[in-house]
Amino acid sequence: MRRPISLYGLTFSLPLLVWQVLFFVFPLLFLVALSFWTVKNFVMSPDFDTVNWTTMYGRAVFWQAYGTTLAMAAVAAILTSVLAFPAAYAIAFKLSDTARRWAVFLMVIPFFTSYLVRVYSWQIFLSDNGIINVILGWIGLGPYQMLNTVGATMVGYLTLAFPLVVLLQLFSLVFIDRTLIEAAHNLRCGRLRTVFAVVIPSARTGLVIAGLFCFILSFGDFVSPVYLGGGEPTTLSILITDTTKSGQQWPRAAVIALTMIGTLMIVAFAAVKFAYKGKTK
Amino acid sequence: MSRDTLVSFEGVVKRFGGFVAVQKLDFEIKKGEFLAIMGSSGCGKTTTLRMLAGLEAPTEGVIRLSGKPINNLPTWSRDTPMVWQSLALFPFLNVRENVEFALKMRGVGKAERRKRAEHWLDRMQISEFSERNISQLSGGQRQRVALARSLVVEPEILLLDEPLSALDAALKVRMQSVLKNLQRETGITFVYVTHSQSEAFSMADRVVIMSRGVIEQIGTPQEIYRTPRTRFVADFLGSSNLFSGKVSASAAGGQDLDTPAGKLRLAKDAVALPAGSTATVTVLDTKTHLSTSRPEPSANAVPVRVIGEEFVGATATLYLETRQGQEIRVQKGHDELADLSLEIGQELFAWWKPEDSHIVAEA
Amino acid sequence: MSGSADLNRNRAVDWALILYIVLAYAFVFAPIAASFVFSFNSDRFPSIPLGEATLDWYRAVATDPLVWEGARNTLIVGVIVGVVSTALGFGAAYTDYRYKFAGKQVYMALALLPPTIPVIILGLAMLAYLSRINLSGNALSVIISHVVVCAPFAMAIIRLRLSQMDPALEPAAWNLGASEWKAMRHVIVPFCAPAIFGALFITMAVSFDEFAVAWFVSGLNETLPVKVLGFLQGQVSPRINAIGTFVFILSMTLVILAQLLLSGRSAKPAKE
Repeated sequence: MRRPISLYGLTFSLPLLVWQVLFFVFPLLFLVALSFWTVKNFVMSPDFDTVNWTTMYGRAVFWQAYGTTLAMAAVAAILTSVLAFPAAYAIAFKLSDTARRWAVFLMVIPFFTSYLVRVYSWQIFLSDNGIINVILGWIGLGPYQMLNTVGATMVGYLTLAFPLVVLLQLFSLVFIDRTLIEAAHNLRCGRLRTVFAVVIPSARTGLVIAGLFCFILSFGDFVSPVYLGGGEPTTLSILITDTTKSGQQWPRAAVIALTMIGTLMIVAFAAVKFAYKGKTK
Repeated sequence: MSRDTLVSFEGVVKRFGGFVAVQKLDFEIKKGEFLAIMGSSGCGKTTTLRMLAGLEAPTEGVIRLSGKPINNLPTWSRDTPMVWQSLALFPFLNVRENVEFALKMRGVGKAERRKRAEHWLDRMQISEFSERNISQLSGGQRQRVALARSLVVEPEILLLDEPLSALDAALKVRMQSVLKNLQRETGITFVYVTHSQSEAFSMADRVVIMSRGVIEQIGTPQEIYRTPRTRFVADFLGSSNLFSGKVSASAAGGQDLDTPAGKLRLAKDAVALPAGSTATVTVLDTKTHLSTSRPEPSANAVPVRVIGEEFVGATATLYLETRQGQEIRVQKGHDELADLSLEIGQELFAWWKPEDSHIVAEA
Repeated sequence: MSGSADLNRNRAVDWALILYIVLAYAFVFAPIAASFVFSFNSDRFPSIPLGEATLDWYRAVATDPLVWEGARNTLIVGVIVGVVSTALGFGAAYTDYRYKFAGKQVYMALALLPPTIPVIILGLAMLAYLSRINLSGNALSVIISHVVVCAPFAMAIIRLRLSQMDPALEPAAWNLGASEWKAMRHVIVPFCAPAIFGALFITMAVSFDEFAVAWFVSGLNETLPVKVLGFLQGQVSPRINAIGTFVFILSMTLVILAQLLLSGRSAKPAKE
C-alpha cells in the first residue's frame, strides 16, 4: 500500500540518508569551501580567497599533470576496452553455460584480492632482475627497463580495470539477441563484419559504460603511477597525495580534487550521453 | 441494510492519481454466500477486493463489515484473510509454520496454535506434508496450504483473488468443487475474484460483473446468463446474439425493432420503449434455432449463411453470417445438426421466439 | 569457396579466441599466483629461479607487532563496517522496494554514487572534513569512511534479493494479522537473510582490502592494507606476499560464504 512514509518507513529510509549526507555530501561540499581557505605558516584558516585556484591553475606542473593524467586514463580506457573485448566476446559466444559461469566467477576473484599486493607482484615480474627479464635473458635478449615506465603504469591500470571491463562487456554481450547475429550471417555478413556491424553497435551502451569505469578508475589511481610508473610522469593523484601528505597544503589539494571531479563529471556525462544516443530511455 | 448483510460498499470510489480504478460501488455481500466478482483485467475487481482486505483505502465512500465502517482499519486489524493469485506462501517456512502464521501474529500460544493448525491441515488433507517445504509441494497442495493458512483464524469472510489461475484445467475443476464444498460446509462468506466465467458461474451463488470500475450486473448465474442486463454483459458472456435497431409500434399491437437484419418482434412483456428510440435485444445461442425453410411468421427469422463450425464435446457451435455481415452463433446438439446436414456457404434461416429475446441497456 | 573450408576457418578462429581467454586469465591471475608462490620463497628480491622454500616471511609478519595491530584494526573496522553498512544498505534497499516519494532519484543517487568517486578524492575530502569535526586519525574515522563506500554494495545485494520476492508476500503477512513491524521481523528479514549475510561478508571483504581512504584518515590506527602500503613505500619486502596471501584467503573465504548463502538456498521445485 502506498501511503505517506510513516515512522516505520523512516526508520529504514533515514539512517542511510543521514549517513550519506553527513559523511559523503558534506565532505565533498567541505572540499569546495576548503579550496578557498588560506594557509599561513602551516596553519589553515577559513577564508574566501581564490589564491589556491590561481596558484594551482597558474602552475605549468599542474597543467602538465592534468594533461598526462587525462591522456593516460584515456589510453587506459581504450587499451583495456580493446584488450578486454575479444575475451568478453569469446566468453559470451564460445563457452558453454557452465564454463561461462566459471569464467564469471574467476573474473570476480580479483576484486577480493588486494590491489596493492598485485601491484607489488607486478614489480617482481617487471623489475630489471625480474621474471620477464630473466626469461628474456635465456634467449639472449635484454635486460630491458620495464619497471618505472609508462608501460608499467598501464599494466597497473589493466590490473585494476581489466576484470571489471570484461565483466561489464560480457553482461552487455550476453543480452544481445542471438537471432540478430544469425540474421547477419544469413545476409552474408562475414564474421568480422558481423562483430563490427551488429555486435558492437548492439552492445554499445555496455561497452561505453565499461570504458567509462576504466577511465574513472585509472584517472583517480595513484598506486600504479607511483609503484609501477616510478612517479614519473606526475599524475594528478600523485600531486594530491604529495600536496596533502607533505605540509598543510590541503586547500591546494582540494583544488586538484575538485578539478578532477569536474573533469570526471564532464567525461561521464558525455560518455553516458553517447552510450544512450538514439535509444529510447 | 438487512440483517443478513455482512459487507456493504456505499458509494465507494478509488482513484490512483488521475486513474479511476473504481467509479462508484454500491452493493452488499450477504452472510454465508459465495459471491464471485468477475470482469476482464483492469475492470476494478481486484481493487474492490483489496479495499475490502484493507490493502487499499477507498478515496470516497464507506465500506462496512458487520455494520461497522472499516475504511481506516489497517489490514492487520481486520479479519479478512485473502488467498492470493500467487498464493504468497512464505517460502522460508514449512507447511505447518505457514498455517500457524496468522495465529502466531495474533499471539496465540504454541500448543493452541499447533492444535488449530493441525485441525485445518487435516481438513485440507495435507497433514502428511506438514513438515515439508513449500517448494516441495505440487500446485494443488500449495492451493490447500493457502486455504488452510487463511481459514485457520476461522474468519467470517474469505477473500480469494484468482487463486486457481496457475493450475491446469483438470486440477482447476477439482479445486472448484473443493472450494464450493468448503464454503457450503463452513458457511464462511467467500468473495471470489476471477476473470473466468466458468469458475464464477460454477461456484458462485451470486455474480458481480464489473467493467471499467462500474458494476454492470449483479445476480445469480442463471439470471445473468438468461437475461444479461447490459450489452457489455451479453458481449462479455459471449453466449448471446445481439441485434440493435430502432423501436417502432408493431401491427400486431406489440413493439418491433427495425434492425439491419430485418424487423424483429419484441417479447410481449418487454418494457414499453418510446417509438424511434434505439434498443438492443439479445437472444441466447442455445435459444436460436435453424431452419432451411422459412419459419412460421410468429417467430423472428433472419436469413443467414453458414461460415464455420466448431465441435466441443456434445455440442457444436455454428458460425453464421447475416447478409449485412453480422456474425451469429448457434449452439446445437450433434443429432440435430446431422438432420440439417449443412455445408459451408449454405443459406438458411436463424430464428427464435420473441419471448426468448430481451432488451438490454445500451453501454 | 566450399562450406567445409568456411567451417575450418571458423574453427581456427574459435581456437584463437579460446586461447585468448586463457591468456586473459593468465594476465589476471599472474600477479595473484606469483604473490602466493613468492610468499614461500627465501629470496629478498624475488625472481626466478626460485630460492629455497621458506616460511620466513610468514614468521616475519607473525612476529611483527605492528602487523598484528594492523590486523586487529582491520578486523575491528571490517566487522563494524560490515554490520553498519549492511544495516544502512538494508534500510535503503527496503525503502527503494517499498516506497515511492518525491526526490527518490536523489535518494538513490546518494545510496549508489559513493563507489564511483575516486578513492583518493574521497580520502582527501574525508580527511579534511573529519579532522574539522575532530573525528580524524582514529579507527572511527576509517569506519565512517568505509561505511560510505560499502553501504551501496550492501544496498545493491539486498535490493536484488527483494526484487526476487513475490510482491504479495509482505501484504499477505499484513493480511494475516502481522503489523508492519511484525511483517518485517517475520517475513522480510527471513526472506532476505541470505542476502543480508552475503552483504555482511562482501562489505567486510571490501573494507579489509581498502587502503586509500584508510591511509588518508587512519592516522596512527593503521589498518593492514595501509601497513602494506607502508611496506611498499619502504623497502621492497616479500612480507607483502605473505600478508597478501593471508588476506586473500580470508577474503575468499568470506566471498565464498556469501556466494553459498546467495545461491545455495534455491530448493528444487516439486513435481506435480
